[in-house]
Amino acid sequence: MSSTKRIWMDAADLRQDTEAIKARESEFPQELAIDQVLGDANFNGAHTGRRDFLKFLGFSLGAATLAACETPVIKSIPYVTKPEEITPGVANWYASTFYDGQDFASILVKTREGRPIHIKGNPQFGINRNPALPKGVVNARINSSVLSLYDNERLKVPYSREGRSTWADADKAITDGLNAAIAADKRIVVLTNTVISPSTNAAIAALKARYSTVEHVQHDTISYSGVTGANLKSFGKRVFPSYDFTKADAVVSLDADFLSSWGSTTEYTWQYASRRNPDGAMNKHFQVEARMSITGANADARIPVKPSEIPFAVIALHDAIAKKSGGVSVGGGMDSAELNQAADALWNARGRSLVVCGSNDEGVQVLVNSINSMLGNYGSTIDLDNHTYFFQGDDAVAAQLVKDMNAGAIGAVLMAGVNPAYSLSNAAGFKSGLSKVGLSVSFSRYADETASLCNWICPDNHYLESWGDFMPKVGQYALAQPVIGKLFDTRSWQESVLKWSGSEAKWNDFIKQTWQANLAAHSAGASFDSVWNQSLHDGVLASHTMPATPVAFAGDLGTAAAAAKQAANGASEWELSLYATEAIGDGQHANNPWLQEMPDPLTKITWDNYVCMAGSDLMRLADGVMRDPEDALKVGEQSPALQVKVTAGTSEIVLPAIFSPGQKPGTIAIALGYGRGANGEKVGKAACTTDHNGVFGSVGRNAYPFTSLRNGSVSYDAVNVSLTATGETYPVAITQTHLTHMDRHSIVRETSVGVYKAGDRNAYNKPHTLPVHEDVNEDGVIDSRDRKPVAAFDLWAEHPVEGVGHRWGLSIDLNSCIGCGACITACNSENNISVVGKDEVRRSREMHWLRLDRYYSSDTKWHEGREAGESKISLYTRMEEPSERPTVFFMPVMCQHCNHAPCETVCPVAATTHSNEGLNQMVYNRCIGTRYCANNCPYKVRRFNWFNYVSDKFGEVNPAWDDLGRMVLNPDVTVRARGVIEKCSMCVQNIQAGKLAAKKAGTPVKDGSIETACSAACGTGAIIFGDLNDKQSMVRGKAEGDRSYHMLEEIGVKPNVNYLVKVRNTEAETA
Amino acid sequence: MHAEAAIREPLILGHKTYHDVTEDIVRPIENKAPRGWYILMTIASLIAAYGTGCILYLISKGIGVWGLNKTVDWAWDITNFVWWVGIGHAGTLISAVLLLFRQRWRMAINRSAEAMTIFAVIMAATFPGIHMGRIWMAYWVLPLPNQFGSLWVNFNSPLLWDVFAISTYFSVSLVFWYIGLIPDFATIRDKVTKPTMKKIYGILSFGWTGNAKAWTRFEEVSLVLAGIATPLVFSVHSVVSMDFATSIIPGWHTTIFPPYFVSGAVFSGFAMVQTLLLVMRKVMHLEAYITKKHIEYMNIVIIVTGSIVGVAYITELFISWYSGVEYESYAFINRATGPYLWAYWSMMTCNVISPQLFWFKKLRTHLGFTFFMSIVVNIGMWFERFVIIVTSLHRDYMPSAWTMFHPTWVDVGVFLGTIGIFFTLYLLFARYFPVLALNEVKSILKTSGESYKQRAATHHHH
Repeated sequence: MSSTKRIWMDAADLRQDTEAIKARESEFPQELAIDQVLGDANFNGAHTGRRDFLKFLGFSLGAATLAACETPVIKSIPYVTKPEEITPGVANWYASTFYDGQDFASILVKTREGRPIHIKGNPQFGINRNPALPKGVVNARINSSVLSLYDNERLKVPYSREGRSTWADADKAITDGLNAAIAADKRIVVLTNTVISPSTNAAIAALKARYSTVEHVQHDTISYSGVTGANLKSFGKRVFPSYDFTKADAVVSLDADFLSSWGSTTEYTWQYASRRNPDGAMNKHFQVEARMSITGANADARIPVKPSEIPFAVIALHDAIAKKSGGVSVGGGMDSAELNQAADALWNARGRSLVVCGSNDEGVQVLVNSINSMLGNYGSTIDLDNHTYFFQGDDAVAAQLVKDMNAGAIGAVLMAGVNPAYSLSNAAGFKSGLSKVGLSVSFSRYADETASLCNWICPDNHYLESWGDFMPKVGQYALAQPVIGKLFDTRSWQESVLKWSGSEAKWNDFIKQTWQANLAAHSAGASFDSVWNQSLHDGVLASHTMPATPVAFAGDLGTAAAAAKQAANGASEWELSLYATEAIGDGQHANNPWLQEMPDPLTKITWDNYVCMAGSDLMRLADGVMRDPEDALKVGEQSPALQVKVTAGTSEIVLPAIFSPGQKPGTIAIALGYGRGANGEKVGKAACTTDHNGVFGSVGRNAYPFTSLRNGSVSYDAVNVSLTATGETYPVAITQTHLTHMDRHSIVRETSVGVYKAGDRNAYNKPHTLPVHEDVNEDGVIDSRDRKPVAAFDLWAEHPVEGVGHRWGLSIDLNSCIGCGACITACNSENNISVVGKDEVRRSREMHWLRLDRYYSSDTKWHEGREAGESKISLYTRMEEPSERPTVFFMPVMCQHCNHAPCETVCPVAATTHSNEGLNQMVYNRCIGTRYCANNCPYKVRRFNWFNYVSDKFGEVNPAWDDLGRMVLNPDVTVRARGVIEKCSMCVQNIQAGKLAAKKAGTPVKDGSIETACSAACGTGAIIFGDLNDKQSMVRGKAEGDRSYHMLEEIGVKPNVNYLVKVRNTEAETA
Repeated sequence: MHAEAAIREPLILGHKTYHDVTEDIVRPIENKAPRGWYILMTIASLIAAYGTGCILYLISKGIGVWGLNKTVDWAWDITNFVWWVGIGHAGTLISAVLLLFRQRWRMAINRSAEAMTIFAVIMAATFPGIHMGRIWMAYWVLPLPNQFGSLWVNFNSPLLWDVFAISTYFSVSLVFWYIGLIPDFATIRDKVTKPTMKKIYGILSFGWTGNAKAWTRFEEVSLVLAGIATPLVFSVHSVVSMDFATSIIPGWHTTIFPPYFVSGAVFSGFAMVQTLLLVMRKVMHLEAYITKKHIEYMNIVIIVTGSIVGVAYITELFISWYSGVEYESYAFINRATGPYLWAYWSMMTCNVISPQLFWFKKLRTHLGFTFFMSIVVNIGMWFERFVIIVTSLHRDYMPSAWTMFHPTWVDVGVFLGTIGIFFTLYLLFARYFPVLALNEVKSILKTSGESYKQRAATHHHH
């Protein structure tokens, strides 16, 4: 260790070259020649030698290559102060409430890192709760509503006619406008959909306190004015009653699609399904209707009648019951043996029966009330004491409003939850009236048909950003809480109303105050805050139901019958009924791509509305237009539909005509809710799309102009309709082009309740067996009677199945499945399934992991035909044709998670494998996209990413496309790239989460603690998820029942999904 | 030199000397190509370029530019693949199997048939590649050591067997073909005068000296390779057929497939050889070497294999009825009477009915008719694969998933493109490579040449 050792850093240091050392110390030496070089006038024209050029080239290439090697670093910023309730990676669930004027549901909202990403029904509380499971019912519209939160076309600031504005300007201008209206002594109308919020009513009352001429008009986009009006006439209460299908042994529905679009469907569906269990007391359901509805598809007996015949069917039923009960007959009803059977069933179940009618005619509804009254259903299946607060709109009042607006009597109109310029039959009258109103304000979230005509648009929050309170029924209260901060500069419309009434109260404080006042009585013993917090947590407040009492019918039958008969208004060649679809409803959610791409449960059509027709009618219309009229029936993929022009009154629209088996000949049906944004209004992303001609326009056509005011209420039927083929065709996107099940009983199994109750499983659910060369039955001879079940055969060693760890499985009860399709959209939301757009669906490339197969029955039966000596070829052809009056079979199909999965063996790179818990797994990263697995899947559940659906294809409707839409993605599920296969994973992310939770708690996984998206969405309990190795589990119990079968059992793939035979409450065996 | 029976028809017509043979084969290589060649080359390469464009478009956009859908996940892609592999069968069969059976007539046709095999297999191999969703991961089908923990391929998958079968077949065929070419390249090397050509052919001929030792080794290697290649002729298409046979799809799931596919492959392979040779024979004036007898022999192979294929079709129908399996029965009735009946009956007409016309000697020795039939058979065999793949898939178990398949312009473009590429390669071969195994032909000149046989016959009589 020499202390004299000198350390030098470079030659200059060694030489002690002071100048160089000095130069080194200054970091940026002054003498760099940058200025010199760049400032040189000749620099641009400077000659670069060949060697220099090559050096530059080499360097640039090398640098570019090196730069490209590194993936860009995207910095994620951790919380500086982590919010207490948010743990990254852990979902928070909040209770809230969905209400949009047509549906009501208590919901749970799943949020991840502050973003709402999924919605399911509240299993604990609410009127939509199925207590037997327990699960909350939601439909597709409700669970898809989370996507509309992230719609980039929502208005982000208030707008005036001049364009973007500010809340301060809006508030000033609007209060000025309101004062001007008062000064002119003109009325101020608050036009809303049915308000079931006590606080909202209080806010409107506050506005009225400030401006004396304020008047609140409620208007339902799809009106029930006839029903509530009839109740006023019959019982003195203008209300929509509560129905209880759980108590109804016999249900007769006359054109009421109560499982999909009529009334409080989130309640009716679980109630109805609870009575479809063949092991319990099954109800008997008659459906009288023209169009095949979801409800009709579930009925035990479906009686097709024309819309004009509905009043006469009601009268027939009425008189048949009157005869039995000794009541007053009306006379002039339809003569129908089937209706008499329905009447018999009702009478035999009197007091435990229910008649509902979809007609919006007061006269008809008074007769229906009379029937229910004669049957003694009030106080049992119908409850007027605990009536709902839904559907308070009165069509006569709305019609009067339009008149008053045109007369210049209205000084200001504030509109929330309505879109009359789109949905009124007299939309033109409304528009002209609106132009005569001094101040028009819309609270719409979009510059929609109505809002775009207003002076001001004060955009409301999305409901997931809002507070709210609800009183759906007498004694039932619910709350909504925001689950995310406001994305844009929007404001609850109630807060706006409060502001203009001079209050500075925040909307949530206002709600709290309202409840503090109202709840004093109910919160005895507990502080308000604790009641309030508990209620927010639950999403509902404690309910107080009064005992229902029978009520006396006090309607005037004679007048009602006369009105009803007049409503029929004479039959004509074509009759039209308008309906709301499961996906789009009244049209306010038409901008939701998940809903547009959700196939209609019956027609399986996406992205369009159309004219439903009977096959014979359609062929008649196609005759001379299409080369083979039968082509008009075979629509989908490259086979376009016949285009027809429908004219009724002064309205006409051109739509594709679709064969809808079960449609009453001579009638047509068109869905409402389509044709949004037809005049270029910005109503949301998916409501408009580019059609086959490359023209950007609205999806479908608006059928509201076909509605008409008749007998004081809006009628959704039209007679004197004319129908002509335009001579053109139109491509339609259908997910299932084939109509019948071809008598394939190893896929579709159904029976009648009689056969089922007889108890011989072999009669309706015979297991598949194979003959073996051993004496199985021990009769001393080896013959074809020596058989073993298919399950006994294995080609190779089986995956460990029985008793080894978990074995996840699904059980699907075909009796409980009503075909609503809420499972499809729930799966979309949970699993980040791409929307692919109409053109791709038309090419049969929808990505849905879960599909709902729909089969119509055929009159041709294989065995009957063979016994009659008919050839196979002819039979196969005829089996493709559905009956004129078919029964319908709904079947949810997802990956069956086979224990001998055919997909697994064929993948060359082992990208799909079997987990030791019975799951068939898809490893996207490993997939090279040979699609062999998809070919070899007997259930055809595998989906291929034909394009990059995430980004560059069909971007305009893909929720994962823009920066905002992407927020709905579930971070637990990979977004799949182009070129890989995907399929149902049985929500493996939920399974893992559930197992982890159980592990942390140190307990075994509790049955029911893990749900797949579909099983959680299925409020009727048709889809049950669980561990098949847990002998106590519900799914195991179902799998071991007599009704359980595996689809295509005979091919031996051993699925972990089983189906329960559908049992219809019919006399004859339908097998 | 052993003498050949007089009643055997001569395989080389007219009077040819060894020199004539060399001249006849090497002339097109030495001289400027005829105008026809340029015209054909232009057409073929334009189609090839268009097809390449379609393939690039496919790869850049995604498989969705084809007409496939959720139910029919394979259609033209695998149809074309199997069709090309099938065509690739004739070459090796001719050169290897016929070599083992000492069929001398093969010598006039084996070279071009083998070239056809190589090019057809290249075209075939294109499809499994480009039909992958993520072609950039295609190397994962190879059992390479890797760092994915070590993740292996799935040896249960017939698609993997395909990879091995095709690559083995391709490499053996290539080697066999090239070994055969060596002495001929040497002949060209010795003959041409241009220094560049001399140099190139010198390299290609691997320093062939032509001494007795080299010839002995050549014969031995040929025999060994023929022995290796012969089982491959049967294995390749058997393995390809297992893509279908081992699946559970009705119409695919059938044990008859391996022999049925092999005979179908030979059938289509010979038809393609006919198509090519009939043109080449005319254009390159090879009538003396590729005689009617050759054409007739090949037509006989076509009758035999066509009939085997016909029996297979009928057996399938019978078994679908006899098995009593609902889905199987439907699959076959649907083929014959369903929406794709036109494809089924095109296949039946082209493959089963029309080759039977070759029972008439007049027809099977008629060149024009043979050419026409060779096209018909290839159309028929394309339809056979289309029928097997698409009609089985489009309506399998679940009626809810039944769809149709509608090809797009890209489907058509890629298929035409491979035909274009194939012909481009073949034309290049015809221009620069000896289209006949000239040294082998020389070996039979004295025994099977027409003039020599006549001389021998006269000699005997006197």
